[in-house]
Formats: sequence, C-alpha cells, structure tokens
Amino acid sequence: MQQASKAPPRSSLLDFVTNNQVVLGYLFILPSLIGFILFYAYPAIRAVGISFLEWNLLSDPEFVGLANYEEIFADERFWRSLRITLWYVAWNIPLQTALAIFFAVMLDKFSTALSTIMRSVMILPWLMPNVIVALLWLWILDPSIGIANVLLNTVGIPQQDFLGNPDQAIGWIAAINIWRHAGYNAILVYAGLKTIPKSLYSAADIDGANGWTKFWRITLPLLRPVLVFVLVTSVIGSFQVFDTIAVTTDGGPAGATRVIMFYIIDQVFNRRISMGTATAASVVLFTILISVTIIQMRFLQADQSDLADYS
Amino acid sequence: MNRKFFNLSIVLALLLTVVGVASAQDVTVRYALWDTNQLPAYEECATAFEAANPGIDIAIEQLGWDDYWTAITTGFVTGDTPDVFTNHLAKYPEFVALEQLVDIEPMVERDGVDTEIYLEGLAPLWTRDGARYGLPKDWDTVAVVYNAAMLEAAGVDPAELDELTWNPEDGGTFQEMVARLTLDANGNNGLSDEFDSENVVQFGFLYPGSGGFAGQTEWSAFAATTGWHHTGGEVWGEQYFYDDERFINSIDWYFGLNLDYGYAPTLAEVQGLGQLAMFQAQQGALAIDGSWMIGSYLGSDFEVGFARLPIGPEGRKSMFNGLADSIWVGTDHVEESWEWVKFLGSAECQLIVGNTGVVFPATPEGVEASLQVRADAGIDVSAFTEQALEENGTFLFPITDFGGEIATIMTETMDSIALGEAEAADALPAANAEINELFE
Amino acid sequence: MTSPTQTQSTKQDTNVNSSFRRFFSRLTWGDAVVFVILIMLLVSILFPFWWVLRTALTSPNKVFTDTSSLLPVEATIFNFERVLGLVDPSEIVGTESTNISAGTINFWIFMRNSFIFSLLITVGQTVFSTMAAYAFARFKFPFRDQIFFAYLTGLMVPGIVLFIPNFVTIRELGLIGTMAGLVAPFFLMTPFAVFFMRQFFLNLNRDIEEAATLDGATKFGIFWRISLPLIQGPILTLAILTFIQSWNEYLWPLLVGRDESIRVLTVALAIFRQQTPQGAPDWAGLMAGTTVAIIPTVAIFIFFGRKVVDSIQFSGFK
Repeated sequence: MQQASKAPPRSSLLDFVTNNQVVLGYLFILPSLIGFILFYAYPAIRAVGISFLEWNLLSDPEFVGLANYEEIFADERFWRSLRITLWYVAWNIPLQTALAIFFAVMLDKFSTALSTIMRSVMILPWLMPNVIVALLWLWILDPSIGIANVLLNTVGIPQQDFLGNPDQAIGWIAAINIWRHAGYNAILVYAGLKTIPKSLYSAADIDGANGWTKFWRITLPLLRPVLVFVLVTSVIGSFQVFDTIAVTTDGGPAGATRVIMFYIIDQVFNRRISMGTATAASVVLFTILISVTIIQMRFLQADQSDLADYS
Repeated sequence: MNRKFFNLSIVLALLLTVVGVASAQDVTVRYALWDTNQLPAYEECATAFEAANPGIDIAIEQLGWDDYWTAITTGFVTGDTPDVFTNHLAKYPEFVALEQLVDIEPMVERDGVDTEIYLEGLAPLWTRDGARYGLPKDWDTVAVVYNAAMLEAAGVDPAELDELTWNPEDGGTFQEMVARLTLDANGNNGLSDEFDSENVVQFGFLYPGSGGFAGQTEWSAFAATTGWHHTGGEVWGEQYFYDDERFINSIDWYFGLNLDYGYAPTLAEVQGLGQLAMFQAQQGALAIDGSWMIGSYLGSDFEVGFARLPIGPEGRKSMFNGLADSIWVGTDHVEESWEWVKFLGSAECQLIVGNTGVVFPATPEGVEASLQVRADAGIDVSAFTEQALEENGTFLFPITDFGGEIATIMTETMDSIALGEAEAADALPAANAEINELFE
Repeated sequence: MTSPTQTQSTKQDTNVNSSFRRFFSRLTWGDAVVFVILIMLLVSILFPFWWVLRTALTSPNKVFTDTSSLLPVEATIFNFERVLGLVDPSEIVGTESTNISAGTINFWIFMRNSFIFSLLITVGQTVFSTMAAYAFARFKFPFRDQIFFAYLTGLMVPGIVLFIPNFVTIRELGLIGTMAGLVAPFFLMTPFAVFFMRQFFLNLNRDIEEAATLDGATKFGIFWRISLPLIQGPILTLAILTFIQSWNEYLWPLLVGRDESIRVLTVALAIFRQQTPQGAPDWAGLMAGTTVAIIPTVAIFIFFGRKVVDSIQFSGFK
C-alpha cells in the first residue's frame, strides 16, 4: 500500500483554524486588541470628548463646544510652545538618527568581541532612567561648578552657559537626549543591519564597489523598514519630551524650553485641572503627530521591503 | 431546654460583643509629607497619638517635593489622596478653589481648639470667608547665610552683618559689604579701582534665581522694606502691584548687583544646581535663604553662620510662610482625620517636632525647643527666629487665586529682567497688567 | 636545534604577527578618522558614568567641594550603605543634618519588585505583540490595515492623555496597589512593540514560506516553525529593550504602586531626589542608587546581547 507522502489527514476544524488567514489573523491580534482598546483607544476617545467640555474631573462637566480650542489658539504661549517643540525636534532627530546609523555600521565592522563591548558601552546611557540622566547632565553642564566648563577651560574655551542660555537651552536639551538615545537607536538599526545577507556585499565587492557605494546602494535601502521605525518612533517621542526639561530647566530660562508637553501638563496641574484645554491641546498635538507620521511613512515607502522581494 | 437556650444566648451575646468590638476596628488614617528629615519626628508624634487613641492607626507616606503635588492633585481625581496631607500656602488656594479641603472650623469650635497658641499671624492664613482649612504646623523666615572663612579673610566681624543698612538707590552699607566680599582673580575686592568684574572668583552675594512671583528667598526681603507688598498686604487680594515704583527700583538694584557691578553671578550660573550648590562650592560669601535650609547649609564643608537681614527704609522684613495639615474632602474617616490634625496642631506634638531641631514649629514652646537643640550643637539660628518674633518683622506669602498663571507670567518676566534682556520699568507694568486681568 | 616547544611558540608568534600586520595594512585614513571619532564618542558616553561613580563614592557633605576633581572627594561607601538600607535613619537626622536624605529603602524588596514587574511586562508584551505583528505582516483579514493604523495612532497619543483614564480603569477593576494593576496597561501590547516586530516580519524572505506551503504546511505551522525561529534576534532585542524600559518606568508605578510590597526601585530611589522646595537632591545617595540600579540591566544586556548577535546571523541561509 502506498503511503501518503504528505502529513496525515487532519480534522477539518483544526485544519480550518490553523490554515485560515482570517481566523488566525484575528486570533493572533486578539490579546493586543483588547489591550489596545482598553488602555489606548478608550482613553484617547474619551480625551477627545473631554476637549469639548469645561471640566476639572471633580465637579460636573459643562459642554462648551469649541471654546477650549479657541482659547488655546488665542494663547500666545500655546503657539510658542509648538515653535519651541519643532525647534527641538529639528535639533534632535537628524543628529540622533545619523549617529545611530554611524554607530550601527561601526558595530558591524568590528570583530565580535569588540562589537559586544562597544554595544554594551553604547547602550549604557539608555539604561539610566530619564530623570537621572537629566540630573546628571544638569550637574555636568552647570556653568559655574560643572565639569564641562572646567574641561573646556583647559583647552581655552570660555565659560559656556549651556542650559542657562535662553538661545541655546533647547539645543542642549536635545544634546542630552541624543546622548541618551543614540545608542539605543543604534542597537535597533544594528538588528536591522544583521538581517542583510552578507552575500549581497560579497557580490558588490566582486563588482568593485567601495565602502561608500556599498553603504548608499545596499545598506541604506535595505535598512528602510528599520529606519522608518526608528525615525517614526523618535519623532513621536521627541514631540513629547518633558522629563528632561522638567528636571533641568523647568521651562526656563525665561520660558525658552516650554515645549508643548509643558503647556499641556501646566493646564492640568497649574490651572485647576483644566482638562478641557489640556485635552484640546493634546488633540492638536495628536493631529500634528499623525500628519507627520503619515508624511514620513509615505515618503519613505514604509510598507515595502526591498529585502523581502529579493530573490 | 431552657438551659440550652440560655447557654446559646450567652454564647450569641458574647459572639455579638466580640464582633461588635471587632467591627469598631482600627481605622487607618493616611498622612503625607515631603521631607524625609522630618519623618522621624512625625513618626514619634504618630506613636504618641496612637497610644492616646487606640483604634486609630496613622500610616505616614513620604513623597519628595517634585512628586508630592502631582500625587496629591492626581489623587483628587482618582480618589487616592491621603486622608491628611501637609499643605503649603502657595498651593492651598487652588485646592480651595477645587473644593478639595475639609473646612475644619465647625470642628475647631465644637472641640474648643485654641487657635491662639500659635505664633501670631499663622492661624488666620489658613482661613477664607469664615472657613478654616488647616491648623498651623511650622513656619519659616529668611535670613542671611555667610561663609565664615571668607568673612575672616576679608577682616569682617560677623556681628557687622547684623548692622547693615539698605536702600534701593545705592544699596546702602549692604552693597558696600557685598563689594568688600567680592574678589577678582587678582585679589582685588569690589571696592577697589582695579576690580575686574569679568574675572570674579568669589562673589559677595549669591542668589537662588529670578524669584518668580513671590521672591521669597530672592528679592522679597529687600522690596518689602520699602513698604511694598505683592498684593498690598491683602490676603486673598484681587490685585497685584508689580508695577509699583518702589518694587521696580528694588528689582533694578537686586539684579544690578550682577548686571551692573559683577558682585553676584549671572542667572545662568545660579539657575543650574542652585544657590546651595554654589555656596558649598565656595563661590560666594553671602546668601539669603530660608530656615528650612538650615540643615543643608550646616552640611557644608566649612563653617557657616546666620545673620540678620539688612535694615531697609522701613526696617527688616522677612517673608513669613507657614505649613499646615489639611484634610481631604474625599476621606472616609473625617472624624479620625480631624483627631490626627488636632494632635498635629497641638502643643504636645509640636514640642516633639521641635525637639528634633529640624524645623520651627508653630507654637512658641516648639520654637524654643528647636532653638535649644541647635544651640546645644553650638549653632545660632536666632537670626531666623528673632525676625519672626519682631514687631512688623514679617509679611505674608501672597495668597490669591490664579497662582499657577501668575507664577508662569512672573517667572518668565523676572527671568528676562535678570538676564538683562528686558528692562524692569517696561516688563513689570506689562506683566502686572496681564496678571490683574485674570481677576476680572 | 630548537626544541619542539620553542618551534611551536615561534610559529604562534609568527601567526600573531602576521594577523596584526594584515589588520594594520588594511587600514586607510578613512578608517583612522572613523576610529578617532568613535573613541571620542565612546569617551563622551563613558565619562558621565565615571561622574556617577565618582559622586557615589564621595562623602555627602563634600559633594560640592572641589567640583573640578575627577576623583571622588573623601571616598566612602556610606552612600552605598544608605542605598542598600544598611543605615538607621536616626543616624542621619538631627543637627548634623547634612544635605542628605534621611530616608532609607528596603532595597532588596524593591529590586525584586522591579524584576517581577519588568519580567511580566516583557513576557506579555513580547508574546502578544509578536503574534499580532505577524498577523499584520503576513495574514490577510478584513480591516487589517485599518487596525494596524489605529495601533500606530496609539503611538502618537500623548501619554498624559492616557494616564488618568487608565488609572481610573485600574481603580474600577480594584487593582490599585496590586502587581496586576501595575502591569496591566503594558502587558498585552504597546503600539511600539507591534510596529517593531512587524517591520522585521515584513523583511523575511517569502520564498521559504512559499516552499513550505507547497509542502503542505499550515499558515500557523509556517509561523511557528519557520518565521518565528528566523526572527529570534529581533524578538530577543525587543525583549531586552522592553525589560530595560520597564525597569526604568517611573510615573505610573509612582501613582499606582506606592504600596511597599509592589513598589519598584525607581520610585524608591526618588527619596534621594529633591525633598524640599529649593532644596537640593541628595546627589551622593542618588548617584549611588543609580549605580546599583543599573547593574542588573547592564548584566542582562551583556549576557543576552551576545545571543542577539549569534542568533541573527544571516550568512547560513542562502
């Protein structure tokens, strides 16, 4: 008797479950969907609803339509906080991403032992809680007793105000965050680098390509999904910077570091829990973030992956 | 039959009694404070209280200053605020506006609590329109801190500091002293013709920052001696007076120490790690700070002393701030919380706190005890206490609505002035107008 | 005649010499520049950590003395003793009250709590988010793209907005002060994790999957036996990153997990932060606490980090 060459026959229910994309799809996403709805969607929708109310969560709410939005749009401080935030993102993201790619490529070049050491060193900043990092740098960058100025002085550079200079403060906040996150993003990019087959590079070598060409033509394009991820998450995170500023400059000097999160939190904790305006500003921020993300993903064609199509 | 029934009812009665006693079980009152250094003192008070009040347990929670108000405010909304918590004059108007504090006046009257046992002026701060929101717990004033070694090097007798005068025009003998104690890299002090303000190695005067709306440890001790007050002396006032000529002149002088003369550091230099850090790093000779910082200054690596504030046109004036314990409106145990608050406000507990020497309690005996503890350690902190006890020696922390907005406006304005980016004469009237509009 | 051992060692020397020479001969100026930049960057990363250690070893009342000294001032392990809960608070409070915090912490319990918290979240998030990510990357079902986009938008909702409603939800479920309530919002997913894994699943080569289908594998089978093993590296990466992120979580545990039995290390160490208005943080204690708190995360990273490298080598595939 001839044996069936394939797997033994299965019950049709099991077969249905294990081979039906729709069933599997929903089954697989079910736990995350529950989490998403309970802890993300529900609060977010509620927040939008609250943005049309005047409410301090303690007494009865009052429907005020678009009044909250009018109020924040008329507030010069709201626009200023958006400008400062944009400035911060502009300083933070390009530099951080470039550094991350640089680090990841370097990690790839070195031998395993050196690479492991370097990887451990690079991630160290990210291992510290955000607040501690901020406090640490507050000290190092202190104009009068911080070690940074001492070191600069030894090479002849005059005393810098760093975080005390209203024009530079937000830039230094960006620097602190780059210090903390560049290594982390580098690890992510490195994971992506590792999925690029070495055979591609060998083929390029045979064709006589140099390092730079290999980087631009092979590495970067094939890193696309990971880079998209890094960029999108970094941008979103940057827009929400708060802890670092709260601990170092507390919005100063002269309000030079009052980013949008400051404005929102201010509404809650310093304006008698004005949830209406706080959520209205959050909704505006949310809208900005969605727009930025859509643009980013379209521009970088995030859904495609050159690697998967490569045969 | 009867016997059995009788036995059963005895047992039942006993059971019910036990259950009854058990159901009048211990109530736990949650109490929050922020200073770990005061934790042992209040734990002692709690032990004494629990001994006198079996059935009530006190659970003390400590949260650092940074997180304290976040937790309290969030707790209002989520129902998680402690039953009793330490309250601060800067924050309490907002809580009153949110209707989150229990009015304890009825209970004060009912239990016949004597509100006269505290230092004068403290108890009324916690009342509004006949309602009372807390019993005074401790208080603070500001005074001058000095680096003893730097004074000695300049040939200054610390007693001289107690006799300095001040005025907004030329800073009086106070400014002279500051100049004398400022040294440049060549050893010239501020009074010398060769003083190089670009190369100062020792500042005569340190300051904590731009002062925001209250200026408690910054400029308030100067400006108030001109007869000025933030709200014109009104508690729950509806108008601010930052556009007053006297205030503008005082501010010009205050930041002029840095901007015009170089006797004080720049705002950038002080705003980082703060005045205490600079003082301990021996960057300056004199500073003004509050009595809650005494312990921190004593931790310096060198000898420090405390001197009286300079005498201005209307004498010496210090801002008077006080803490109190308030009961949260959402507590399940109002009566028990009240008992605890009553005890915290009592002479007995305040004596316990005074005996640790960490703060100045609101009762005179507590103050004595605290002074004694310091004196036993060879430290004279009378500069703070004498200021509190002096006639007209204090003025109030400004208590009004809209504290949050006002703080934001004034911090930005004062920062700009301190940085030299704005002129006080222009910026202050503008800010004042914006503030007064809030009350309309 | 040289003895055998001598000959052997000479041979080894030659090997070492020639590999060095080969290494250096391949260096270009470009490499040298890169090397220098790298060293500079590494120093700028390591120096602040040295600063942490230096401060942790400095006596509390010497913290601002000689601030330009690169070495600890009056080195001591007192700060570490305080952090580990070995010091009685009454030794600290009083008129000798220096600018140090009189709080003490039950260090090992808080460390344990941090571990449990981080481990639970890591396991939950990795498992459920990976499953969901695979579904978004490889299965076709109605509304797939819309749901994924919804997840993405979840990334963009400012945290402050989620915060209070989530707290109220946990409170209504009666889970305040429990570990379950503490991990709940993070346990099932974060948009970040799903997004991350999906990108890697997208990158997998479809050829193997097609071949497996022809062999009669079910869709589930492909996931379980082919895709999942290939994605070990990113999964491990995600797990490590999630663990560390949970370890450093502060605000949520501050508000939900104040009870000592579930309080985590970051919240406990906050006693070293600023205690009083205009006060100063207890720098020495804070830095000692930081040092101790990052040791587990460093260890995990080093230990598992090697496995990340080993398991995602792609060279054997083609």
